[in-house]
Amino acid sequence: MARRYDSRTTIFSPEGRLYQVEYAMEAISHAGTCLGILSSDGILLAAEKRNINKLLDSALYSEKIYRLNNDIVCSVAGITSDANVLTNELRLIAQRYELNHGEPIPVEQLVSHLCDIKQAYTQYGGKRPFGVSILYMGWDKHYGFQLYQSDPSGNYGGWKATCIGNNFNAAVSMLKTELTDNGSIDINKAKELAVKVLSKTLDTNKLTSERMEMATLRRVNNKTVIDIMKSADVDVLIKKHEATEAAAEAAKKEKATTSSS
Amino acid sequence: MALQEICGLSDAPYMKSRTHFLKSTEEEMKNSTSNIENCYSLSAPPFENPMQNLNAIQQHGEKSGIKIDFDHGTTTLGFKYQGGVLLAVDSRATGGQFIGSQSMKKIVEINDYMLGTLAGGAADCVYWDRVLTQECRLHELRNKERISVAAASKIMANIAHEFKGMGLSMGMMLAGYDKRGPGLYYVDNDAQRTPGNVFSVGSGSIYAFGVLDSGYRWDLTDEEAQELGRRAIYHATFRDAYSGGIVRVYQVTKDGWINISNTDCMELHYKYAEEKK
Amino acid sequence: METVIGIRGPDFVMLAADCVQASSIVVMKSDHNKIHKIADKIAMATIGDAGDSNQFTEFISKNLALYKMRNGYELSPKAAAHFTRRNLADYLRSRTPYQVNMFLGGFDDKEGPELHFIDYLANAKSLPFGAQGYGGYFSASILDRYYHDKLTEAESYEILKKCVAEIQKRLIVNLKNFNVVVIDKNGIKNLEPITSVKLDAAIAAAQGAQGVRAH
Repeated sequence: MARRYDSRTTIFSPEGRLYQVEYAMEAISHAGTCLGILSSDGILLAAEKRNINKLLDSALYSEKIYRLNNDIVCSVAGITSDANVLTNELRLIAQRYELNHGEPIPVEQLVSHLCDIKQAYTQYGGKRPFGVSILYMGWDKHYGFQLYQSDPSGNYGGWKATCIGNNFNAAVSMLKTELTDNGSIDINKAKELAVKVLSKTLDTNKLTSERMEMATLRRVNNKTVIDIMKSADVDVLIKKHEATEAAAEAAKKEKATTSSS
Repeated sequence: MALQEICGLSDAPYMKSRTHFLKSTEEEMKNSTSNIENCYSLSAPPFENPMQNLNAIQQHGEKSGIKIDFDHGTTTLGFKYQGGVLLAVDSRATGGQFIGSQSMKKIVEINDYMLGTLAGGAADCVYWDRVLTQECRLHELRNKERISVAAASKIMANIAHEFKGMGLSMGMMLAGYDKRGPGLYYVDNDAQRTPGNVFSVGSGSIYAFGVLDSGYRWDLTDEEAQELGRRAIYHATFRDAYSGGIVRVYQVTKDGWINISNTDCMELHYKYAEEKK
Repeated sequence: METVIGIRGPDFVMLAADCVQASSIVVMKSDHNKIHKIADKIAMATIGDAGDSNQFTEFISKNLALYKMRNGYELSPKAAAHFTRRNLADYLRSRTPYQVNMFLGGFDDKEGPELHFIDYLANAKSLPFGAQGYGGYFSASILDRYYHDKLTEAESYEILKKCVAEIQKRLIVNLKNFNVVVIDKNGIKNLEPITSVKLDAAIAAAQGAQGVRAH
């Protein structure tokens, strides 16, 4: 039955669903995880790398995090070739705005503009939706630091912290508990939190810098500073995280032994 | 004829069959009368880049003797005063030195509450006034109320802007009565559009302005206003060779427009001469 | 024949434009406003081809209104000027170029006052002061002479009066009235128009005073 309504993107099923769009979302929930956290003095994006073959040329050092202009960075989850098309489009939109207005594009306008394109691919005949969800972090003079997420249907929203890709539900609920307790956090705390969440939600037992990428966006002297972190720096964070985990574990054990004795 | 395509021989008119020729003529006919279906798709002057070349042709006209002489030469005036809006026009239509008509109606009755005057190319003015009339009626049907003078003049200005530089020649006043009271707008082929109290348009306007400005007051009575308009047009017909015929006077009040008088300027001439004695 | 003048002070921008609308040699109107409010704190004084100046100003102001409606905030004066210039440049290379020259004055809450010169060739420049049109030739030296960095609003208005007086004295064309607008942190405000009647009265008064002193 479903076959009749899912071969084309533009047709609703009798239950009022667009199967192709839902399949695209499903594809993304198997893709590498990306998470973003908005902090008081900056924003952070972290992404899981799936291609960790030793034979890969390391010249291409960022795989899932793209800089779009001086003030905006995005990270993608989904079909990489689709993502390349969209990031290219995003860069064009941003430059076109700058050409017309002489100032950088406000973050939401960029997101909204791309989402118009994504939406069109869910409506016009003969097209397949883009199998990509995107996290955007950026700064503009109107609303300061902002974190957005968009999905294949063309929907988007602003977040304090969010996650897309594999196991995103677990990550989001973890972020929720961690952040509601602390209220607002700073960028260093956000980095630690990102490592913590990723180490819990990734399939591997041990998190390594080959398996993740991280980028931060801050404002220094009225200029946006984007830092796509080197793997050595990520390693430091992971080590620190492992140490605190070990300490917590030890403390727990000690407590258990003392209480049992 | 293996190379006829390459030589471009097949494109030459004598290589075309008669039916083919007819087809292209048909196409041309269709293109140049497309405005019958859509009044805004008016065909441009029949040469490339009309905006530049039309001017060039007109400038060269003095030498070549080939010149498009637009039907020119008019005196029209309009002013607002306490009693509403008054319009007065002459009725002479000229083509160069030739007087084509002495009884032209240069005030177009757009609806019961709005009038338009025409100066410049008579065909342009009449054509676009008819389009405007249609738009005004459609506005009435769509919105269940009469169009304002401001909106009507804006339609006209937008048309003028759309065809700017393509050779249109228009200088018109729109007078009417709407929710905001009496309205008087000036619109021309440059897409200039402006509301105002006193306007005069056409080759005789400079003469009409003299009489009009010296006699104009806001608190003119109806009779005074009618006489001022009539006199101003008469004096313009006297000085301006391209103006003459019948002096028509219209008035617009809250109850709509009324035609006050249509007097031959010769009659006025002797009447005013008599008064001077 | 038309004239626009712009002056940027430390916390305001002042624009002045003549009020003449002409058709060939005839003055159709001498109270025509050429300074348009195009955003809360941006105004545009436009001169040039009769129909174009109105049509173009309206085109820009409606686009700014659309931007505000879509995004919930307005374009900054700098961005508005850039947008205007860009459109003018695109139209210049089309079949229907706009023949307009203008000053765009605006107040940015972060950047302060701004004055942008834009002409029909889509030449744009941010300036402390400037004038365009025939009257601009006569105003240039007056602005050079009297402009300084700490100009107050009142001083600026006085400079404009000097410019208008000179235009009315030396320019062959009759430009009777000048509308004046000031833009500051509170928005756009119309100032008293500078008219030949008032200037004549002021000059007469000044000469009268001199006459008394001579006795």
